[in-house]
Amino acid sequence: MTEAFPSTLVGPSSKERKYDRQLRLWAASGQKALEESRVLLVNSDGPWGDQSTGVSGVVGVETLKNLVLPGVGGFTIVDPAVVTEPDLGVNFFLEEESLGKSRAEETCRLLRELNPDVEGSFQTQSILELIQQDPEFLPRYKLVLVSGPIKHSSLDALCSAARELNIPVLYTRSVGFYSTFSLQLPATFPIVETHPDPETTQDLRLLNPWPELTEATTRVENLEGLDDHQHGHVPYILLLLHYLDQWKESHGGNVPSNYKEKTEFREMVRSGARTSNPEGGEENYDEAVAAVLKSLNPFSLPSSLREIFEMEECKTPTPKSADFWIIASAVNEFYQQHKMLPLPGSLPDMKAQSADYISLQNIYKSKARRDVEEVTKYVRRVESQLGPRPIDIPDKDIEVFCKNAAHINVIHGRNIPQLNGDAPTLKSLGNNLSIPDSLVTVFIAFQILDGVVTDIQTRGQSGQSLDDEAAWSTQISRAIDEITSDGSQVLDDDCRERILEATQELRRTEGGELHNISSLTGGLVAQEALKVITRQYVPLNNTCVFDGVHSRSEMFKL
Amino acid sequence: MLKIWSMKQKQQQAENAEGAAGKKKKKVTAAQLRVQRDLQELTLGSTMKMTFPNPDDILNFTLTIEPDEGLYKGGAFHFSFNVNQNFPHDPPKVKCTQKIYHPNIDLEGNVCLNILREDWKPVLNLNAVIVGMQFLFLEPNASDPLNKEAADDLRQNRDAFKRNVRTSMAGGTVRGVQFERVMK
Amino acid sequence: MSPIDSPLRWRYLHEVLTKPGPFSDEDWIPGPETISALESSKVLVIGAGGLGCEILKNLALSGFKDIHVIDMDTIDISNLNRQFLFRHSDIGKPKAEVAAAFVERRVKGVSITPFVGKIQDKDEDYYMQFKIIVCGLDSIEARRWINATLIGMVDPEDPESLKPLIDGGTEGFKGQARVILPTLSSCIECQLDMHAPRPAVPLCTIATIPRQPQHCIEWAHQIAWQEHRKDDAFDSDDMEHIGWVYNEAHERAKQFNIHGVTFQMTQGVVKNIIPAIASTNAVIAAATTSEALKIATSCNPYLENYMMYAGEEGVYTYTFEAEKKSDCPVCGNLARKMTVNPKMTLEEFIETIGERPEAQLKKPSLRTEEKTLYQRFPPQLEEQTRANLKRSIRELVDDGEEIAVSDPAYTIDFRYRLIFS
Repeated sequence: MTEAFPSTLVGPSSKERKYDRQLRLWAASGQKALEESRVLLVNSDGPWGDQSTGVSGVVGVETLKNLVLPGVGGFTIVDPAVVTEPDLGVNFFLEEESLGKSRAEETCRLLRELNPDVEGSFQTQSILELIQQDPEFLPRYKLVLVSGPIKHSSLDALCSAARELNIPVLYTRSVGFYSTFSLQLPATFPIVETHPDPETTQDLRLLNPWPELTEATTRVENLEGLDDHQHGHVPYILLLLHYLDQWKESHGGNVPSNYKEKTEFREMVRSGARTSNPEGGEENYDEAVAAVLKSLNPFSLPSSLREIFEMEECKTPTPKSADFWIIASAVNEFYQQHKMLPLPGSLPDMKAQSADYISLQNIYKSKARRDVEEVTKYVRRVESQLGPRPIDIPDKDIEVFCKNAAHINVIHGRNIPQLNGDAPTLKSLGNNLSIPDSLVTVFIAFQILDGVVTDIQTRGQSGQSLDDEAAWSTQISRAIDEITSDGSQVLDDDCRERILEATQELRRTEGGELHNISSLTGGLVAQEALKVITRQYVPLNNTCVFDGVHSRSEMFKL
Repeated sequence: MLKIWSMKQKQQQAENAEGAAGKKKKKVTAAQLRVQRDLQELTLGSTMKMTFPNPDDILNFTLTIEPDEGLYKGGAFHFSFNVNQNFPHDPPKVKCTQKIYHPNIDLEGNVCLNILREDWKPVLNLNAVIVGMQFLFLEPNASDPLNKEAADDLRQNRDAFKRNVRTSMAGGTVRGVQFERVMK
Repeated sequence: MSPIDSPLRWRYLHEVLTKPGPFSDEDWIPGPETISALESSKVLVIGAGGLGCEILKNLALSGFKDIHVIDMDTIDISNLNRQFLFRHSDIGKPKAEVAAAFVERRVKGVSITPFVGKIQDKDEDYYMQFKIIVCGLDSIEARRWINATLIGMVDPEDPESLKPLIDGGTEGFKGQARVILPTLSSCIECQLDMHAPRPAVPLCTIATIPRQPQHCIEWAHQIAWQEHRKDDAFDSDDMEHIGWVYNEAHERAKQFNIHGVTFQMTQGVVKNIIPAIASTNAVIAAATTSEALKIATSCNPYLENYMMYAGEEGVYTYTFEAEKKSDCPVCGNLARKMTVNPKMTLEEFIETIGERPEAQLKKPSLRTEEKTLYQRFPPQLEEQTRANLKRSIRELVDDGEEIAVSDPAYTIDFRYRLIFS
């Protein structure tokens, strides 16, 4: 054993105690990433003419609340609006005294109270002015949150600036009982720690044992000779390996490969259990029998990983490549050598004597360590070929990559979807429209709302309210034309009716937010923000709609 | 909902005024009801007795097992059963109230029986537990013990184990531990 | 008009309450009546923790004016990552009081009444005053209690006695929100199997063949503590106690060559800590309060009856109707009123229930919450309760008290509320 036992009690620090319940989800590494991130909230784009105060920005503030509490490094609120009476009826982070003051300043002040570890600042200019005046402004942020609806020109300018800088954007709208948000990720967005369900991720390599594991099996070769106690405590992995050897002897060296053979093999294992004991069976055999179908699958490279290995970034890393791609290329080399991925090295708990289990666990752990060492060797070689890089890739990152190799995910980021002629978006909208209760109609209703807002803001139609019937009919027709523009899509009456219904429900608050729906959406959006910032779990790709009328949601790739 | 509420509001006020027979009375809890049913469905052989220190409290009782065969024949073993209000979601808590020499019961009275812990399911009932307990005395299990010494004895030298069981049941000392006399 | 009641302040909320939508009930009449019904709806929030803090804020900003909150806990440092109404300086204070005062201060015109204590401290009179009960609890036991209590309160002749229970729960990135109309829809008890008990490790593994760091911690907590500190009641909030368990677990792990016992893991195992984050709580709490608003106003249809949420991979929800179980021990068979002559003996009473058409009970055992009236088996208990057979109903049961009857011939149990003639 090379690992040392800590000798004294190390109690948790006060910060660890405060964040205990979340550290159990994303660990110290996720917390560190969170604390090193600043997020930008664009909470409105100024008023919409003289009748409307525009966006209340509750969903933006509620999202920030859920990031400030777990300890995001810092935030900036950009919001040119001043606090009005209706704000106080929906926004918890404003108070009576806030009336008439800068909304950015007031919400910033009250959000900062939530967590002294978090820095908060605000800007009362519009976002376009800020990014035009100061090229250094946007690069300070790891994530941009936008509360819509905002006019297309502002959104487009912000999104394209963020795309240039590889900064993810979450664009959210919450109106009445409906909300929607979309995530714009960089063109490639790799996630190493996807946290798959542990049940589905066991990799025991029973069909490809390495010498040490085979050697451990020979120690239980004579199962019949063991006394009852020993027999009932042979770890099930060794039982399976033992019976696999027997099977191979009678099947020309082949392992059970189809369902029928596996069931036969399972019977063979089952019949080895001793039943002349008080319990009438043996737990370790029960475990072995239960594991046959899921553990005897030949190794195959997961398709997501195959795709990664075939990507240009992986095949030919450059001096500018992110660490991820250099490790990926090294793991690919490992795969080419062994036709296997590095062993994750974890062993599930199983019926066994303590010492036997620990020694089996060590066989898995040392093999995993050797695999990491081999991958590290490749990484270092690639690094030296590429010439000097600012810092060497940390050993820890290579280890984490190897441990999670089979479940690594690269998301191909897409732009914030709009009804602007983008062919894949139109196709996906069309497909979803043919599903009777799809919430895609709500997404379209929000596109129509964006159109109405853009109209009001850009054409300077002052005095026009969000309730203007003519503006809505124009935008509804425009949206339907857009959806049917490529000719492949015919909207039947039912489809049109559903779009109209969604639009009607959306218009009930004349653009206003309901606190519950914004709070709920703020929770969902913060969840995505946390996944993007910590690079753990799997974020949305790329649009979600929440329907508070029927309490359901749906995801779309648009 | 609103419709119903507004319609019935006046009626409600009238009824309230009527006086309050039946208010504030506690209801039989789901756990009590389930235990009432479980008790009724028990099959107790001649080797088992139950005592209820407070007959109104059916969630706490003692089970006495007096094996009429096997190594523990002639003894009377007492177990306290404590059923909480979360029964049958939680299993009953069972402890031996005497210090006895048994591979599956430790010196503190903890009992190792799968359905009392890892294999408990709400569909199981008290009868299943009692049958399991009885079984422990007919077939002590050496392979996964709580009292490791007793298990080693049983595994390695059954005769010595038998002698130790008799000694311990008589209140004697085994491996330096003094046991409680449990003879009937 | 004071600014608090300014129609401008509640403009957006009032808009959905004053005009119908495409999905709202056709019979619903939007307008001032709906608004005043909402404002006069007294609502109870059970729990002022992760969900409770959010629920209080959401209800206050949804137009509810009379809110009550129950919680027995005090504020701990580990609450601060999500329970946003609490500050470091509040540690040790009762959650219900701090949360109520904060929301009252922030949202003018709302009244929030805290109660520091257990839900079991309150009786039916207390629960009867509310229109809706919203629950943000982490204990199954407490959920079962309030569920059974609300179901027991339902009087078929009095719709006011039906208190919608809206229940939320979270764990890490997952959660659920559900609407229970006591006696009308699936209840907590009907779906008890959805709350799987935490998988337990066999005691003998812990005692003799530990393999995992958790086994060592369980050993220290359950076995070593009993052996060495029998007289100290173990308190999972006492750092010295946790430290002791950690050290014992650590020593044992060393002995068996097991790696990975940490202080954090020790706390997690002995306190059964469930991971919790602000964002999941926000989602579930708002889902419950959105239902409260819809139920109180009819402005849109309410959830029938269960929404599951999982956020580990994208945003996933599943909304479905959980089924009411006809043999549910709580809502499957409700208490019927039965008029009895209190002078009748228990034996005579048992004969009369044997003749009732719905039951025809041949071998009933029966009890009240306080008393075992008559239990046919086991023999020891039969003997102890036999004397009751000759006693009068009046001596055994109070007027209006409930009795529960089980009979081996039936798989369900019966409840009767005895009204003295």
